[in-house]
Amino acid sequence: MFVKEWRCEFRTRYALNTLALFAFTTLVVVSFSLGPMGVARSQGSTVLPVLLWIILLFSVAAGLPRTFVQEEETQTAMALRLSATPSAIFCGKLLYSLTLVLALEVLVTPAYLIMTSLEVASPWLLAGVLAAGGYGLAVGSTLVAAIIAQASSKGTLFSVLSFPVLLPLLVLTVELTRGATAGDPGGVALPVLLLYDGTLTVAGLMLFPTVWNP
Amino acid sequence: MKTFFASLLWLWMSFVIVGAFFYAPVAEKFQVPGSSRIVFFHVPMAWCSFLGFIAAAVWSTMYLFRGNPRHDLAAAVAIKLGMVFGVLATVTGAMWARIEWGAWWNWDPRQTSILASLLFYAAYLALRQSVKDPRLKGRLAAVYALLGLVVTPYLFWVVPRITYSLHPDPVVNTSGKVEMDPRIQHVLYASGLGFAALFFWMHNLQRRIESLAERYAAPWE
Repeated sequence: MFVKEWRCEFRTRYALNTLALFAFTTLVVVSFSLGPMGVARSQGSTVLPVLLWIILLFSVAAGLPRTFVQEEETQTAMALRLSATPSAIFCGKLLYSLTLVLALEVLVTPAYLIMTSLEVASPWLLAGVLAAGGYGLAVGSTLVAAIIAQASSKGTLFSVLSFPVLLPLLVLTVELTRGATAGDPGGVALPVLLLYDGTLTVAGLMLFPTVWNP
Repeated sequence: MKTFFASLLWLWMSFVIVGAFFYAPVAEKFQVPGSSRIVFFHVPMAWCSFLGFIAAAVWSTMYLFRGNPRHDLAAAVAIKLGMVFGVLATVTGAMWARIEWGAWWNWDPRQTSILASLLFYAAYLALRQSVKDPRLKGRLAAVYALLGLVVTPYLFWVVPRITYSLHPDPVVNTSGKVEMDPRIQHVLYASGLGFAALFFWMHNLQRRIESLAERYAAPWE
């Protein structure tokens, strides 16, 4: 399933290009208007993590809905329903989204840190937050993408439906990223973030068959 | 029977209003002690808003198992009413915050979580509007309502605690630390019960209105 997703992706490179370009454009806009001199160093660790996660969130919203919308548009959804179990499809799509989000983060975060000259006190915590947060973004958006693929006005609906689901996640990741730049471990926030990821995964696995099967 | 129930509810709420202003004492620890009386209306509204979520999730589960369109309609109406009560709770809360904390809005964890839950209700209604086929609509909306039930505990209980612990704000805690007078508790719980009954009464009315509207909109079915 996972291999099939990537093979389809490499045929068009639609999501990859959109995601990378979108993220890079927003990145340039943000760092151009803020710059190394745009924010005082004391405010930097408060403001800059928020902007990083907003860039990531909107890039995800631009690229990830494709995973299921494309199946409906090319009318391959029915063939997929016949050839694999719902949980295999969900896991495959999730893995694909996850690799996409992680690739995006690997691309964007270093560039962002360099362009805004934001200093990170504990890089390992930042890496952990990016991994856990990226996983949460992938799970949440995979499930919401499955829901909106069958509705009309898909593009706008994705943002409307996914933001309330991803809001607690973003609050946690922003707090933790702030903690990482300031060198503060953040207490229970990281376990709660992992718990949220777990909850979303379980909910996704339980709810996905209902969304998927007509 | 129905009019009897409605008049009982009317009488009960009248007692609550009288009790709120003449039976319960004011909380002296507040900046403006008289403002504490809002608790008898504001807090039950917030409870009802959350009740809408739970009721919608229960009806959505029933719809997913049985496929009866009445359950789907009931869930949708519960969300709508939850939104109404949520907006009322937010507005009354902002009014109280203006008096007590000096600003209409100050991103107190409770304000943030109720705003997020309002976003969720709105998203649910947007989802319903964008699907034409009633069975597909019911199924997708039910799944989204259940997803909401998974997410809201984090919004209401977990995330506020964490962001709170990272950003201590002494102003927020004034209302949390007030010891409640037993008479305040009596009126508060009576009001909560009254509001819950009001919720289900309104729910019943609205559900019947909408099912009539559906029937007359599509007479060939």
